[in-house]
Amino acid sequence: MTRLPADTTDPETIPETGPETDLEADSGKDADTAPRAGRKDPEPRAGAEPGDTPEDPESDGADGEDDGERRRTRTRRTAVVVTAVVALLLGGGAFFHAAHQLRSTPSAQNRALTDTEATTRVGGDVAEGLARIFSYTPAGTDSAERSARTVLTGRAARQYQDLIAQVRTGLAGQKVSLTTQAVRTGVVELDGDRARVLVFLDQTSRRGKGATSSVAAQLTVTARFDGERWLIADIKAR
Amino acid sequence: MKRLVRTTTGNRPALAAALVLTLVAGGFAAWQGQSWYAAAHDGSAAYAAQRDRALAAGQQAVQNLNTLDHRRVDQGLDLWESSTTGELHKELVEGRQQFAGQVKEARTVTTARVLSGAVTELDDRAGRARMLVALRITVTTSDAKSTDKDSRMLGELTRVDGQWKLSGLGQAPVGGTASGG
Repeated sequence: MTRLPADTTDPETIPETGPETDLEADSGKDADTAPRAGRKDPEPRAGAEPGDTPEDPESDGADGEDDGERRRTRTRRTAVVVTAVVALLLGGGAFFHAAHQLRSTPSAQNRALTDTEATTRVGGDVAEGLARIFSYTPAGTDSAERSARTVLTGRAARQYQDLIAQVRTGLAGQKVSLTTQAVRTGVVELDGDRARVLVFLDQTSRRGKGATSSVAAQLTVTARFDGERWLIADIKAR
Repeated sequence: MKRLVRTTTGNRPALAAALVLTLVAGGFAAWQGQSWYAAAHDGSAAYAAQRDRALAAGQQAVQNLNTLDHRRVDQGLDLWESSTTGELHKELVEGRQQFAGQVKEARTVTTARVLSGAVTELDDRAGRARMLVALRITVTTSDAKSTDKDSRMLGELTRVDGQWKLSGLGQAPVGGTASGG
């Protein structure tokens, strides 16, 4: 009897308690929980909150994607803007450099003849100034010296002081008059308020009532514009 | 709704800044481009370049025409001819034989140094220019005596095949007319 139930129980219990129950329980759990969860979850949710349930998981997922996408587009947009700005700045810089290169050639910086108005003006002012300061009569050098104060500056003014002192002492004994005329002027260089002018002078002197004699002189004059007229800043005999 | 408001308010300053930055950069580029264009098409720059080329060629030509060594007369006179054009060139070619004979007989060596020069007129299109040149001429005779003489000259230049050459040369007269200019 004990065998039978033992026997019956044995084969029954062994599979039941051992592998069978395990298998059944396992498979039952596995099979049950999966469909149950699947069955139970959508059923009450779909029934209780039909509006929320489809939106929440969808919007949550879309939000993550949207953020990423937005971040990406923003990065892309920033990159485009930065590239454009850098390209424009580089282009502008290149133009600036090229323009500077063109303008800074010594040839282009020298405005002699290209600035006709200033060229004519500096030539005229220098020629007139030289004629006035290097012309005098036996009566004296007063008017020449007066002119010198208005047309000379810097080194030329100091040079003139020494020169005219010699002339004054020379004039005392002899009746000499001197007329200076600038016959040709050529602007060598003109840059802003500075200029170099080549001047061909004729200096005609007359001693008493005697005959006149003319002498040629070539000068290179450095001139400076003071806002009103070109002043003679330096004179070099050529 | 909430999100829409948030994104626009979040982007607006950045967008505005980007726009301003791009506009400023664009403005800078346009400004500089315009400046470059003006410089590149500046007629006065091309004119200034011609002026300097004429002056350099003219000074060299004047120096050449005041340089002659009796031991190398032919070489010197060849240089004279290549430095000139027009009427002046014709005169030099015609008088060459006679002049070469005179220099060989006098046995003089003449050298010149340009002290200063300036272009006074330039017609870029016609290819004509006028210039002033102050130069010092040194003449050495056969007995090794040398004398310096300062000279002032007026030159007339003509452009031939892109090269400036002397077409006229003379002393600037002294004590002559009152209307020099």
